[in-house]
Amino acid sequence: MTNAVAGLGLAPDAAMVTFPIELFLPGSDISPVEARKQEFYDGLTRWRSAFAGDGAGEPPMLRVEGSSVEDAFTRANHLMLANRWGDGLPLWPPTRVRVDWILRGSAEPRGRRLGTFPPRGGVTTVESCAIALAMAGGRPEYLPVLVAAVEAFLDPESGSEALQAASGSAFPVVIVNGPVGARIRLNAGFGCLGPDPQRPAGASIGRALRLLQQNLGGALPGIGTMANYGGGRYTNVVFAEDEASLPTGWPAHGTDRHGFAPGASSISLAFANGATNIRRRGAKKETPAEDALQGMHRMADFMRVPNMAGLAGYEHGTPGILMLPGVVAQTMTGLGWTKASMREFLWEHSRIPAAELRRAGCPAWIEIDTSKVARDSLALDPWPITARPENFVIVVAGGGHPTNSYWLQGYSPAVVGRPVDLPPSFEGLLAEAEREIGPA
Amino acid sequence: MTASLEFHDPSGAIEVKRPHAARVAGLAGKRVGFVSNEQWQAYRMLPRLKALLEADFAGIEVLPIDAFPQGNAVIGSEETAALVRASGVDAVIIGNAA
Repeated sequence: MTNAVAGLGLAPDAAMVTFPIELFLPGSDISPVEARKQEFYDGLTRWRSAFAGDGAGEPPMLRVEGSSVEDAFTRANHLMLANRWGDGLPLWPPTRVRVDWILRGSAEPRGRRLGTFPPRGGVTTVESCAIALAMAGGRPEYLPVLVAAVEAFLDPESGSEALQAASGSAFPVVIVNGPVGARIRLNAGFGCLGPDPQRPAGASIGRALRLLQQNLGGALPGIGTMANYGGGRYTNVVFAEDEASLPTGWPAHGTDRHGFAPGASSISLAFANGATNIRRRGAKKETPAEDALQGMHRMADFMRVPNMAGLAGYEHGTPGILMLPGVVAQTMTGLGWTKASMREFLWEHSRIPAAELRRAGCPAWIEIDTSKVARDSLALDPWPITARPENFVIVVAGGGHPTNSYWLQGYSPAVVGRPVDLPPSFEGLLAEAEREIGPA
Repeated sequence: MTASLEFHDPSGAIEVKRPHAARVAGLAGKRVGFVSNEQWQAYRMLPRLKALLEADFAGIEVLPIDAFPQGNAVIGSEETAALVRASGVDAVIIGNAA
């Protein structure tokens, strides 16, 4: 990897001439083009790919020696950092024993190929996932969710090829539905996007996905990914919908968006580029109806922003993921709101007046978008932030407290779902987890 | 006492799916095109490069910068690729990314 251009669809080893970013800015001095013209000429005449034949084979096992177990562990971590395989936090060396232990959680053979990770093109298998999950401190029972998330990530519809390399700091969000979430201790309640020693699965699965993005995909900061900030990327976002708190008549997200059977275990993957806590609750003597309506307006106001990165999902993706605590969803259902009516409200009230769009220079971005639906939307005033209400993702998650909701701003060409396949040994793995880390 | 750890290289294997086009032996007398996404100062940099090629190689024909569809929305399409092939160019420069 020499440049994120590979994320724009070119092969990772394509002949490139790279310059510091200053050259690409308005009013720049472009004389370096002439100074380095020979590199362009060589790219057309003398250049040869660094990859011979059909690529490299499986890399060999690595070995470190230390004066003690702790010393060997330290050396292994140093080696992984030196090779740019880590994230700066301690890693479990993916030994054969640990990787084989993780692979007990797979319903499929270790060599089953899932695809190639963009933009570098690393061949991705079930074993690749197990290696990353081992490094991330994961457990066997997490592997089915990680494999499903990787399959969704590698689906070309997800847009991951471009988002891996792009400057917009996209990070994957994995929403888990069905019984597998609670059974592997994915958090759906208080602090579900943060650390929780009783429910550590989301951190490990998300961290493993990130390590795959980096180690197989080549998304190293400033080299394979030009993300300005990279927020949320240590662990990405992995949580379960709080299905136990779904109001009567609310379909679970996996059923609603992807058509999975109610009660089926599944994942849903989208990309976000920001996260905002919204103080939704009123402060004085509002009636329940006023509290709900004002909260809806406040959430729509947070969404009414010129998120031009979000154009990527204007037609088929999502403007973002709204997380509502179960107690809020239940109260609003009691007041007559439905998931569909909430989406309609948010779509209508997050529209941006055309004059504000013009003031911010947004039409230029909309005019060059790949989607005709997005381009045609310029005729609408006020301008809807997404093509249709159904594009909003609303999930019930977060602690049972009514004050806040959470908005994961979208940068997501699609929302991709996959079923989660569990191994025959799954119940045994759960029992083992209970013995080792205490009751769920 | 010593201890050792043996572990997997997490970077995996690489597969090359599409071979690159053969390079031309030289640029003199050749026909060269540009495919531009019109981003990142391409509207200034690519014409400069066109002028340099024309100055440095005898008999070279460099197509106009807008000879093919421009913009991120279209440059990766099969239609654009077909137009490039049909133009009979010997080589193509694609830009710009940042």
